[in-house]
Amino acid sequence: MFFRKLSLGAVILSTIGSIPAFAETPKDTLVIADAIDDVITLDPGEVSEVGGVLAANQIYQPLVTADMQDPTKIVGVLAESWNVAEDGKTYTFKIKPGLKFASGNPVTARDAEYSLRRVVKMQSRSAFILTQFGFTADNVDAWIKATDDMTLVVKTGDIYAPSFLYYCLSSYVGGIVDAKLVQEHEVNGDYGNAWLKTEHSAGSGPYELKRWEPKQSMLLTRNPNYEGGDSGTKRIFIQHVPESAAQRLLLEKGDIDIANKLGPDDFGALEKTPDISFITGRSGTIYYMGLNVRNEFLAKPKVVEALKYLVDYQGIADTVAKGTIKVHQTLVPEGFLGAVDYNPYKLDIDKAKALLAEAGVSGEFTLDSVVWNTPPYTDFAQAVQATMAQAGVKLNLEVVDGQQWLERYRAHKLDIWFGLWGPDYPDPHSNAKAFAVNKKDAPDGSDGLADRFGWDAGTLSQDAMAAVREKDTDKRRAMYEALQRTHTDRSPFLYMFQQIRKVGIRSNVKGVVLGQTFSDDRYWNVTK
Amino acid sequence: MQSVSSSRLAGIVGRLFALLASVLVTLLGLLALTFFIGRLVPIDPVISIIGPKAGEEVYRRVFLELGLDRPLWEQFLLYVARIARGDFGTSFVTNRAVLYDLASFFPATLELATLGLAIGVVTGVPAGVAAAYWHDRWPDYLIRLVGLVGYSVPIFWLGLVGLLVFYSRLDWVSGPGQIDVFYQGIVPPVTGSMLFDAALAGEWEVLANAFSHMVLPAFLLGYYSLAYISRMTRSMMLDQLSREYVLTARLKGASEFTVVMGHALRNAAIPLVTVIALSYGGLLEGSVLVETVFAWPGIGNYIASSLFRADVNAVLGGTVLVGAVFIFLNMLSDLLYQMLDPRSNLRHR
Repeated sequence: MFFRKLSLGAVILSTIGSIPAFAETPKDTLVIADAIDDVITLDPGEVSEVGGVLAANQIYQPLVTADMQDPTKIVGVLAESWNVAEDGKTYTFKIKPGLKFASGNPVTARDAEYSLRRVVKMQSRSAFILTQFGFTADNVDAWIKATDDMTLVVKTGDIYAPSFLYYCLSSYVGGIVDAKLVQEHEVNGDYGNAWLKTEHSAGSGPYELKRWEPKQSMLLTRNPNYEGGDSGTKRIFIQHVPESAAQRLLLEKGDIDIANKLGPDDFGALEKTPDISFITGRSGTIYYMGLNVRNEFLAKPKVVEALKYLVDYQGIADTVAKGTIKVHQTLVPEGFLGAVDYNPYKLDIDKAKALLAEAGVSGEFTLDSVVWNTPPYTDFAQAVQATMAQAGVKLNLEVVDGQQWLERYRAHKLDIWFGLWGPDYPDPHSNAKAFAVNKKDAPDGSDGLADRFGWDAGTLSQDAMAAVREKDTDKRRAMYEALQRTHTDRSPFLYMFQQIRKVGIRSNVKGVVLGQTFSDDRYWNVTK
Repeated sequence: MQSVSSSRLAGIVGRLFALLASVLVTLLGLLALTFFIGRLVPIDPVISIIGPKAGEEVYRRVFLELGLDRPLWEQFLLYVARIARGDFGTSFVTNRAVLYDLASFFPATLELATLGLAIGVVTGVPAGVAAAYWHDRWPDYLIRLVGLVGYSVPIFWLGLVGLLVFYSRLDWVSGPGQIDVFYQGIVPPVTGSMLFDAALAGEWEVLANAFSHMVLPAFLLGYYSLAYISRMTRSMMLDQLSREYVLTARLKGASEFTVVMGHALRNAAIPLVTVIALSYGGLLEGSVLVETVFAWPGIGNYIASSLFRADVNAVLGGTVLVGAVFIFLNMLSDLLYQMLDPRSNLRHR
């Protein structure tokens, strides 16, 4: 009987074999595998998770954006011109005439006014990108104002480098919504948030949201009113495939066009596969270790310096990460204004030991290090643990879940944090503010990473604020270059790597443009 | 006559009440345990929502919105009161009612688990019987080895290897996901089960595609439950075959088939029902690993990802569902007991 069942199983299997399997995806649909089960909203005023920002980027358009070929250049999207007045605080944007939202409503300065105000008034989690200019729920009606249908005037609380404001507006919170449509769906003063969050979209970008099944998939369809024409695919289908090996198999078979979450191990296997190519791009994401100077050992600058010599930077980049990171030891990522090529540290056990001796530390000591339980952090942490041990620095690795990892850092209950920083907009201030500006110097009074790790950045904090207020681009660049070197030398931040985006793609898929920050990829000119 | 039937009625009503009370107490205990464990876990739901970069006012706003300023016991009572009204709350990740979420994620697990269990029972029970019958001979060794592998090899590894062989190389089955992109959105969701919905709509091509997506994970789950069921069947059958009634039956000249299938298996079937019901329950919880490898939108992944986000309503809703499934299966196996074993009927009379 048992054997009869076995042969029945074989029969079942052979019938399955006769079911035709399509070896390719539909011609008019771009199929992307990604991990999207963390996305909680697609409202551009509050998107934040990688998958949410990715989708919102295809749906909503900002006033201005960074040129992907040369991110130091600003180009108009909904705005045809923009300028700043003599006072350095008053910005005027002229909207391009003739643009339409997916609904058919015209794009006007009133929409821009409504969209930017609502981010501030909703107290959205992404509002910090705008409120750092001094906007509050009370003043934003006066400070962000459409003076006519095509003119938007934005007043900032202080003088800032104009490009800083433009970059912030280019980020995901700067996406402009169809004010008329959204206002029709406001409930209890929620600025249409509930309506926009999951089931509807109201943008002018190349795609509109057709269907989002949370934790499963997103379907975007082409916006017929998009000004840039319809050269791209009709649909974008983003499927939740959490396992990187599964993404690899799907890509190999041609069941998906783009695999966004491949691990270093998958690249080697895929390189030999025909019909698969890779696009690599710069990502602004930086991997670093934050050293909490509240710890008695880490309070000593020499100990901090010693630790910087106890990481095998190049070794990790070559072996563990397989081309997905490069050594980078300054706060501004390569590709951004003011980036410098300054990597002074390499593995040097003897030098580290000498520095520890100078600091008066003898014998072993232990540091509690919090690590996110996901690659590449675990691999980095183990490699660092091994080299630090050689100089008597014992890392007690606490490998924890992602939320706990965030919580430990927020509560600064740790000695070392293996972290990453993804800039929200391609301006050096996104990083300078985080790593160098103390609360007392921040106009919005917010905690930076420096405060989280107990570090008084001293004059660097004021230098960073001076740099973001400098209107002359060349001077501003020089200021960042100068402050970064000092910051790398003195700060309790042990910068290790900058991420290199590497995305697996079917060879017939053309026109994917990788973004600059962490998830602003552009899919609208893709053909296959 | 009258008094007899009314006392029987009272007995039935009493038993129903006792049953209902035990179900409610079990569920309430489950809720309390999950709720407080959920709050002890060092995950802050507020940070989970706002991320690492937002400022203090935003933190405060979300903290209050979630009602976290109230004492823990008050939060729990409010929650239970809402559940009593049938309101399981909203998941902050999906922004949908938890009940709606469960209704959309559970069918995917249900169809996979049912197919998996069917495979497990249809292969596992005969395998266990054969192993017991040919005790300590080669079929026994073979079946035990197969069972051991199913039990000890990590299921996600088997899943990946299965995909590599049957999907990637041999092209016998479809890959991860519930259905090909080609067939997305063709079938209107009625039951939530892709197979049923496709059959209802008469979309046979969609049905075939959905089936070819399901076959590999179902076989994996089937193999996993085969491993368990065959081992349990074997030991129960060994126990029965060593009893004196078996010897008696053989002495009376009953055929081997009658002895094994008619007598021993019939007796072993009673505890076996519990084993099968429990492994069905295990499969219905959703295998997080299988669902992850196969990108399967099932309840296991739903609960696990909610847990990692401290999405309390979703986790509690999922727990109640899993608890209810187990209670239901227990009741079902009790019922089957009574049908299989006339003595348990007698006792209740």
